[in-house]
Amino acid sequence: MVIVLNKNAFKLPRVDREKFISLMRLGLDYNRDQGVFSIKSYNNIEKAMEAISSILGGSEVVFLQSCIRCGKDFPCTNCNYIELCNTKNLPFSCVCPQCLRDRKQFEEYLEKF
Amino acid sequence: MQRNELLWVEKYRPKKIQDVVGNEEAKELFVEWLKNKRHTKKAVLLYGPPGVGKTALVNAAANEFGFTIIEMNASDTRSEKAVNAVAKPATSYVALDNFSGSTKSSGNLLFLDEVDGIAGNEDRGGVAAILKIVEESLVPVILAANDPNIDKLRPLKKVCLLVRFQQVRIPLIIALLQKICLLEHVHAEFEALERIAQNSRGDVRSAINDLQSLSETNRTLTLQDTVVLTSRNKDVSMDETLRGFFSAKSVAEASSLLSYSSVDYDDFLLSVSDNLPRRYMDPGELAAAYDFVSQADVFRGRIGTENWHLLKYFYNALAKAAAVNPQSYKPFEFISPPIRVMTLFWTKSRRSMLDAICSKIGVQCHVSKETAKEDFVPYIKEILIKQKKSPLIAYFKFTPEEVDFLIKMSRF
Repeated sequence: MVIVLNKNAFKLPRVDREKFISLMRLGLDYNRDQGVFSIKSYNNIEKAMEAISSILGGSEVVFLQSCIRCGKDFPCTNCNYIELCNTKNLPFSCVCPQCLRDRKQFEEYLEKF
Repeated sequence: MQRNELLWVEKYRPKKIQDVVGNEEAKELFVEWLKNKRHTKKAVLLYGPPGVGKTALVNAAANEFGFTIIEMNASDTRSEKAVNAVAKPATSYVALDNFSGSTKSSGNLLFLDEVDGIAGNEDRGGVAAILKIVEESLVPVILAANDPNIDKLRPLKKVCLLVRFQQVRIPLIIALLQKICLLEHVHAEFEALERIAQNSRGDVRSAINDLQSLSETNRTLTLQDTVVLTSRNKDVSMDETLRGFFSAKSVAEASSLLSYSSVDYDDFLLSVSDNLPRRYMDPGELAAAYDFVSQADVFRGRIGTENWHLLKYFYNALAKAAAVNPQSYKPFEFISPPIRVMTLFWTKSRRSMLDAICSKIGVQCHVSKETAKEDFVPYIKEILIKQKKSPLIAYFKFTPEEVDFLIKMSRF
């Protein structure tokens, strides 16, 4: 099963103290008020994803990507180039398939700069 | 050079941070660090595979925030003395421009590129000197490396903010190519851009070069035009490349073959050099060809690991060596792999044996391996020839194989 998470806020089942500390060391952050985790550092992201996956019972973890053109979130599973991509899920910004094909939206994006 | 003759990789080199393609998180982290005057970490280490925009980001950020870059890269010697000579003055003083109020200068920025390449005797003490400069610097210090996991960089990693760069993705490369096509008035089919981006394997530079070479003559680009690109992914052997290279009818043909071949540039240069006497029988032609190979070697040195915009000059000089007299070409058997590479391979066991002997001498006599080789080995050899059971054998703890090797060895 694939679990899609949002890098800015995602919930995990309650973990013990040691696991929590290791998650923090791997670059996660925890918002006590809202009870949600987020990704703070990307340097150990693969290990962080493995840790999250094991907490979620071994399910495959996928983070949502932000489209640099339209700003919408989308998962890598929607991408046509997933087989050729060496950086699946990481980093968290890309161009969504709709924007890549939509010339009008692209020209609007260029006009911003 | 006219503006329209510029290489597109140069023309569209990022001037602003937002022009750098991909790695949004890394860009954000780096900019946040650069803007913050009270850094918790005194330096930043940008790391990731080559061609993903580390150097481009530093240059764009310096341009945007008005820093003057003082740069040292792998082509400079980075010993303690050299680092101190360049970096210390640059990091010890805050620029006077800062106080004039008339300019937008933010002062100096020290950029040490390819710090993982600091190695050997030439760069002795380099890492320690960099560490000291990081601790004492009054200006931002930025380091860049491809592989941050090597042992010698461990002390630097402790004092640096680590910023990781990832390979640029295909959709982002397509987006960049679309932008260039729009600005250059090239009407490109989406599938053609897709093919170029896939073929580049995450290397933005090669994608832009391919786009320029394919759309230079015609301002429309179709999928059919990109058929030639497939050859870059094919595993063409050194022999095939040499055959095509030496049988080329013109400089353009040889140059084009080189640009689409994936053989190692350094090995190819050595192979061309080895095979030239078989290709040109006329001494005048041979001399002219070696002159071009020598020019290509100079450009290869200047390219180093980052000045890839000079690659076309390397190709051009090497291609001229192939086309000194195209009419005189007759098929011949190639020397491959390069003689130098093979010599190193053949002598590896002998060199490692001599190295072990010199280490043993060095330990007992408190000298370097080099001194042991130059000043001790010749005399020990003479002693062993005359006295095969010399007490020196026990003193240096030589094995019977090492004694035999020393007695029989002919040259050092």
